Amino acid sequence: MSLWLAFALMTAAAIFAVLWPLGRRKAATGGSDLAVYRDQLDEIGRDRAEGRIGEAEAEAAKIEVSRRLIAAADAAEAGQASAAPSIAPSPWRRRIAAMVGLILLPVGASALYMALGSPQLPGQPLAERMASVRQDRSIQNLVAQVEAHLERNPNDARGYEVIAPVYLRMGRFADAVNARRKLIALSGENSERQSDLGEALAAQGNGVITVDAKAAFERALELDPKNTKALFFIGIAAEQDGDRHKAAAIFTAMLKDAPADAPWVPVVREALTRVGGTPPATAAAPSAPATEQPGPNAADVAAAGQMSEKDRGDMIRGMVARLAERLKENGDDVAGWQRLLRAYMVLGERDKAKSAAGDARKALASDPDKLRQIDDMIKSMGLEG
Amino acid sequence: MTRKQRRLTLIGGSLAVLGIAAALVLFALKDSIVFFNSPSDVVQKQIAPGTRIRVGGLVEPGSLKKGENLQISFKVTDGAHEVSVRYQGIVPDLFREGQGVVAEGRLEPGGLLAADTVLAKHDERYMPREVVDALKKSGRWQEGEMNADAHVVGKKP
Amino acid sequence: MIPEIGHYALVLALGLALIQATVPLYGAARRDAALMQLGTSTAVMQFVFVAGSFAALTACYVTSDFSVANVFENSHSMMPLVYKFTSVWGNHEGSMLLWVLILALFGASVALFGGNLPVTLKANVLAVQAWIACSFYFFILLTSNPFLRLAQPPLEGRDLNPILQDPGLAIHPPLLYLGYVGFSIAFSFAIAALIEGRIDAAWARWVRPWTLAAWMFLTVGIAMGSYWAYYELGWGGFWFWDPVENASLMPWLAGTALLHSAVVMEKRNALKIWTILLAILAFSLSLIGTFLVRSGVLTSVHAFAEDPSRGIFILCILVLFIGGGLSLFAWRAPLLRQGGLFAPVSREGALVFNNLFLTTACLTVFVGTLYPLALEAFNGEKISVGAPFFNLTFAPLFIPLMFAMPFGTLLAWKRGDLLGVAQRLMTAFAIGIAAIAITFAAAGAEHVLAPFGIGLAAFVIIGALVDLAERIALFRAPFATSWSRARGLQRSAWGTAIAHAGVAVTLIGITGAATWGTERIVAMKEGQTITLSGYALTFDGMVQRAGPNFRVLAGKFTLREGGGVVGVMEPSKRTFGARGMTTTEAALLSRGVSQLYLSLGDVNGDGSAAIRFYYKPLVLLIWLGAVVMALGGALSLSDRRLRVGAPKPAAKTALQPAE
Repeated sequence: MSLWLAFALMTAAAIFAVLWPLGRRKAATGGSDLAVYRDQLDEIGRDRAEGRIGEAEAEAAKIEVSRRLIAAADAAEAGQASAAPSIAPSPWRRRIAAMVGLILLPVGASALYMALGSPQLPGQPLAERMASVRQDRSIQNLVAQVEAHLERNPNDARGYEVIAPVYLRMGRFADAVNARRKLIALSGENSERQSDLGEALAAQGNGVITVDAKAAFERALELDPKNTKALFFIGIAAEQDGDRHKAAAIFTAMLKDAPADAPWVPVVREALTRVGGTPPATAAAPSAPATEQPGPNAADVAAAGQMSEKDRGDMIRGMVARLAERLKENGDDVAGWQRLLRAYMVLGERDKAKSAAGDARKALASDPDKLRQIDDMIKSMGLEG
Repeated sequence: MTRKQRRLTLIGGSLAVLGIAAALVLFALKDSIVFFNSPSDVVQKQIAPGTRIRVGGLVEPGSLKKGENLQISFKVTDGAHEVSVRYQGIVPDLFREGQGVVAEGRLEPGGLLAADTVLAKHDERYMPREVVDALKKSGRWQEGEMNADAHVVGKKP
Repeated sequence: MIPEIGHYALVLALGLALIQATVPLYGAARRDAALMQLGTSTAVMQFVFVAGSFAALTACYVTSDFSVANVFENSHSMMPLVYKFTSVWGNHEGSMLLWVLILALFGASVALFGGNLPVTLKANVLAVQAWIACSFYFFILLTSNPFLRLAQPPLEGRDLNPILQDPGLAIHPPLLYLGYVGFSIAFSFAIAALIEGRIDAAWARWVRPWTLAAWMFLTVGIAMGSYWAYYELGWGGFWFWDPVENASLMPWLAGTALLHSAVVMEKRNALKIWTILLAILAFSLSLIGTFLVRSGVLTSVHAFAEDPSRGIFILCILVLFIGGGLSLFAWRAPLLRQGGLFAPVSREGALVFNNLFLTTACLTVFVGTLYPLALEAFNGEKISVGAPFFNLTFAPLFIPLMFAMPFGTLLAWKRGDLLGVAQRLMTAFAIGIAAIAITFAAAGAEHVLAPFGIGLAAFVIIGALVDLAERIALFRAPFATSWSRARGLQRSAWGTAIAHAGVAVTLIGITGAATWGTERIVAMKEGQTITLSGYALTFDGMVQRAGPNFRVLAGKFTLREGGGVVGVMEPSKRTFGARGMTTTEAALLSRGVSQLYLSLGDVNGDGSAAIRFYYKPLVLLIWLGAVVMALGGALSLSDRRLRVGAPKPAAKTALQPAE
């Protein structure tokens, strides 16, 4: 609201600048050449005293300047005489100028601004964001801890796995790419890791599917032709190459094979519409409760990348809640617990992460191997105590 | 002097200075310009040894060798051909394998470039324009790779 | 909210500029005082809005608002506060905003302090100024908008290009822009004069202070840029004849010529058309300078902000203003009344000589800078024109110019006595020759030209002193008379002498650093010592430190002279995480006006470090000279006469009865 008030005040100030001189009775008096010529006469005298000009020349120069002085005085007089009638200006000119200021200026300025500006986006100074969402601070801490850990144990694949998505979210794309690469080097490649690498590379290219990124996605598809993230990005790559048909074909195929309740469906549908295809009408409604894949899977993350901040936050929270539900019923899934803890940390919900860590320990207490795994992770996140 | 004579002096003097300047420019242009070549140009154009040239392209990964006394050698490639470069001294901060580079020096018999100047890019987004052109020509350049605006979501006209 | 306010303020500034560009012009044609007056109020308000817009962008940088794409691209939350400020103009969009801010500042200054201008001239000048402003507002809003937003702001920015994270950069572009854009006033006055079809001596006097101010800023700006390149690029060179440097040198040369020709016009009512042309050219070259830097058409070590698509837009602006300005000139200039002619041997003649050489030098730089471009467009050949070209063409033109300098200041107006002047310069000759002899004796004949450079500089400096002495009749009259004359001497006379001496000081610096400098490039092991020009440098080892947004790898070196320790030098490399870039920070140690320069190269596996070690004698004089020149300009600017005080009320009433 206050933004529009500020705009209104600024517009008023601008209009004032146009109207003010139009309303003034007294015309401003300008300077004239006369002062300059008088000054020049003085100066010739000074130059003469310093010997900068010969006697005869000085006299000649004085005559020249005097002649100009007289001419200028005459001109000024004539000008004043002839200008006298229009000093009282015809009112219609002022009226037109006033109309320009009153109507054209605000209308034109608002039109141009509405075409260019984004008034719906609030300013987001970092400090404010830090204060309102404490997550950022804890992410920084988490990142620092994991980085320190990795500096000591540079071959800990799990560390890279934890930190890569965080880097991606923080916009540290080069680091995300490095972490993804390291992870593949250390734990071998699989389809999901390759597509994650591709995603990081694409982010590094500002959303452009670079050659490297495309290679990674293609490799991912070789390993698993059903990898939705890789499929999706290959479709985007085709779209960026200008090959809309290919993109549409990929997206259509994805939708056809999609599980009815897959959360990435709306995103793909949107992409398909963008490239000019018609989404199949039978695709599931996006609001259908997801039960089969409650964890934030690859496509969800990809989809989240396309959404606004708020929608994305809601979506991630929704997915995390579903995951938590499922783990309450079936606590045997160590990977699920790890994903949940990571998700809480990313969301900045440290307290929930702590309680979830406790739950996980309880649920996994019967299996020492899994317990060790989850303990390691809890330690590495600094969630103990 | 009459008005006419004064005017002539002025015009004559101006022409004389301009003439001298033009002579200097032509002389200097003949003597002190350096042609830019891509590695393919160097291989295909049969440039005479001893010519001073600039070669631009990417530093071929794996080709950088450091020797004694700050001697280094590396290969500049445009994807199609490559030119070996020898240089003694300190290379710029952003000189790296796989990155754009421009080397200037004399061509030795055998196609080796004895460089006395090595320029690298200043910033990770900047690449010497000549290098971009050379890479485009050989098809190694990806349009959009440098597109820094792709992620801007504010409305753009 | 703040970024959107800044965005809207910029749009409103455009709206006001459009009104300012048209209404006062119409008002001047119809002699409607109210419409002309509109120029003043809109110019001031336009400045207020641009300043607000700039402040908003600065606020976004200071608060690290990464929802602004421009901030995300060029800032980092950990960056020291001062660089958050400087990164506002360390990128293309922000620097263009700074450009229009300065343009609006100059426009508002004319509006506020131009009370002594005839009202029609003022209205026309402000309108032309607004045309320039409009085209740049459109350019910014449509192609380089700094207020574009990111819907999902990342948590961290990409950092400012590390090479620009430096105090030198903080001051260099604003100064340079103050110079470039300052010439827009001269341009606007020239176009306004052409529109009115009337130009006289008074015009020159009104233009002079603006040109002088722009020239001062440009001088210091160029020197700053040169010093920045000297210590930041790590090569120890102070001038590379790089297209971007040339782009700032050309307006400087044209502007210097304009300053001098305006004197002739003001005093003798001659060279009128030439002065108008120079005013158009000086600003055109400033625009070309902007074009060269911003479009990336030329390969350049400075090309940190390049984008060809924007280049097309700037090219259109260029064609519009340069083409339009010159066409208007070709059409209207013949209508202007010709000024008087004068004898070749006179002050006027000397100033013409100055103009001739300055513009020719400017032309050779222009050819050298744009020839590669033309050649490539013509037959696709790519060439680079380097320092040898400019040394061969520029120096031969500048030497006679400097030699003529003392003569020019001593010649009388209208008709001069060359022989008499030469006699009065005998002292200067003698000292110049003595300087040559002493330099030869001290430095040997290894560099034959260098002693002559020093001798020429000595001649110019003493010549400037002789000029002052002549003016106050030193040694010819009793001391008390001289003293009172010295106190009564116009500041502009002091300014001229000081500025001319500054040129000579710079010449000494260039001669010293370019000819007697020594260097060593070696790989040093810890504990090793090398010697250079009587200095011994010992490598004590490497240290690592953390900076605010970078890591430092520094080498510790001890410098000794004749056994005694002179100082510790710490050249370093900074690695900036956000961009994965490294910069080299040279270590400088001043000995009087000479400097020792040490920069660090690669550190090898065996612990040895590659270093460049230079001894640069007299190098500081290069920049000191520029400061002295600007000081002379400032002194001249403070001269009361230049301000042509608003017509005194008494004078006005005296005129009234004539009505």
